[in-house]
Amino acid sequence: MKTWKKFAHVDAKTAEEAAAILKSGRAALIAGGTDLLGTLRFEILPTHPETVVNLKADPFLDYIKEYGGALRIGALTRLEDIARSALVKERYAALGEAAHRTATPHIREMGTIGGNICQLPRCWYFRTPDNRFNCVRKGGGQCFAMSGDNRYHSIFGAVKSCLAVNPGDLAPALVALDAKIHTNRRTIEAERFWDVAFPGSTVLADDEIVMEVQVPAPPEGAKSAFLKFAVRKSIDFPVVNCAALVDKAGGTARICLNAVHGKPYRAARAEAAAADALKGNSTAEEAAEAAGAAAVAEARALPGDRNKWKIQIARTLAKRAVLACLR
Amino acid sequence: MPDEPNFGDEGNKGAENAGKMSRRNFLKDAGLAAGAPAVLGGAMAISAPPDAEAAQPYNARAVPVASEAVCASGMATVTLTVNGDKYTQAVEPHWTLRQLLRDRLGFTSPKDWCGGMGACGSCTVIMNGRPVLSCMTLACECGGAVVETAEGIAKAGHPLIQAYIDHNAFQCGYCTPGFVVSAKALLDRNADPTEEDVRDALGGNLCRCATYQQHPPAVLQAAKALPEFQKRSGGEPKPSKGARA
Ligand SMILES: Cc1cc2nc3c(=O)[nH]c(=O)nc-3n(C[C@H](O)[C@H](O)[C@H](O)COP(=O)(O)OP(=O)(O)OC[C@H]3O[C@@H](n4cnc5c(N)ncnc54)[C@H](O)[C@@H]3O)c2cc1C
Ligand code: FES
Ligand code: FES
Repeated sequence: MKTWKKFAHVDAKTAEEAAAILKSGRAALIAGGTDLLGTLRFEILPTHPETVVNLKADPFLDYIKEYGGALRIGALTRLEDIARSALVKERYAALGEAAHRTATPHIREMGTIGGNICQLPRCWYFRTPDNRFNCVRKGGGQCFAMSGDNRYHSIFGAVKSCLAVNPGDLAPALVALDAKIHTNRRTIEAERFWDVAFPGSTVLADDEIVMEVQVPAPPEGAKSAFLKFAVRKSIDFPVVNCAALVDKAGGTARICLNAVHGKPYRAARAEAAAADALKGNSTAEEAAEAAGAAAVAEARALPGDRNKWKIQIARTLAKRAVLACLR
Repeated sequence: MPDEPNFGDEGNKGAENAGKMSRRNFLKDAGLAAGAPAVLGGAMAISAPPDAEAAQPYNARAVPVASEAVCASGMATVTLTVNGDKYTQAVEPHWTLRQLLRDRLGFTSPKDWCGGMGACGSCTVIMNGRPVLSCMTLACECGGAVVETAEGIAKAGHPLIQAYIDHNAFQCGYCTPGFVVSAKALLDRNADPTEEDVRDALGGNLCRCATYQQHPPAVLQAAKALPEFQKRSGGEPKPSKGARA
């Protein structure tokens, strides 16, 4: 049985208070704790925080509202509350479905939107207890997935020689819906939020805290959808997931795959293919088929073809996501 | 019966002084076996602050910066309500709610199966109206919380218990408290669930003996018996004060 390394614990009443402690670089922020506590208990990182800073003491970061033409979700809002929100389900279907398909009911009741978009990768080498694989992401010399079992790894190449994928379910929905991540310092487009070489999974600075996720209301008549393929439907991380927002009348589409690359993969070619098909006289099936094929046009299996199956899944999910928006 | 260390659950290094007490003695001494509330706490030494040598820059995204110690470690005192009774207890920052419930308060229904990875649901408790994993909840964050465990659900005579017996919804029984608690959380929120709702709500609970098929009919039977139960017990069963926030 694993023993815990010690840490101190502070309740931060406000984000500023939390940021002041995080500035040291020796502290970790805790929201729902469903990702953080796993990394601490199993000591997956080479370093351990001196202090865990609890953001949950701030009562003003838990809300779902719509105003100023956008949906606004406080960083501490639980995934289950997002999944059950009638407002989210009706107008921001891809986000509601992504929240609903994340993890298990218990983890959704604990896990927050802020924590979900900031979670660390799930690569099994990276996550091995006691930092047994000190991989390139942790400052080591190699990515063990290059030569090891990489059946769940990237089909769009490495990010700085790391093949781990972004495992989040909310990320592709937020990119497809063109969301913005508002922090204590700035507002970042969702598409840029993960646009980073490690260390880290996000572009956030040490003492930067996600405060709110803002999702612009989709154009009238546009539809969004989220689909996920996982080994077990009830609990597993995505093998591949895909979110799409299609505005049939306007002839535009936004399509994002995740768990296929180090960052959520915005499928620009698929978007163009879908838009072309919509502007032409194609049927919904033809438009979806074209989008699916274009989504994986640049995908490559790793040597040994162990992760080749993910390409077919990505293609099918992109196709079905577009189709779901056109129905 | 030889004494067993009562902090074995999480292999906690920090609870040295609790060492000699067996769980059974503990239960007896605290009067918990009889269901009486007990107020505990203050009994443990303050732990040393974290080793300055071990404290290295942590965050994966962190750039090391010179820092003074941000705060002292040590015990925190939490007061929480478990199954309707109030408890006050000193806890270390890294203790989980499960550790507090099992090793300090004697509520052994929250189990440890997956080792605290959040992957099995056997440690489920209801906290402030939500089904949560007690293995992934820090005890020091539970001040003021209203917690309900399988013990409380059984004590209240909730129809889930009889329904689980009627449907043989267990084999070895290890996972059962977690399932029952998850099902209770569902019924608190939705007294008339569909089979699909039940499957959804129990999706985070693992059963190694594969009793899965028995759970939906058991929970649906309990749902039918709910109005009668509520009449009998004069409204809501006592422990479920945890209104959704
Ligand atoms: C068994 C299991 C299955 C899972 N399955 C899935 C799945 O299918 N899909 C999926 O997407 N996820 C999955 N997860 C991950 C889970 O969804 C996320 O862990 C959860 O959403 C994280 O939220 P949290 O509030 O618990 O984050 P925490 O664990 O509290 O934090 C996670 C990270 O984010 C940082 N952080 C938290 N809040 C903020 C903030 N406001 N600003 C800046 N940084 C912040 C923390 O410092 C930490 O590094 C699974 C987890 C487990 C244990
Ligand atoms: S022990 Fe908590 S989820 Fe497995
Ligand atoms: S009854 Fe044995 S694990 Fe479920």
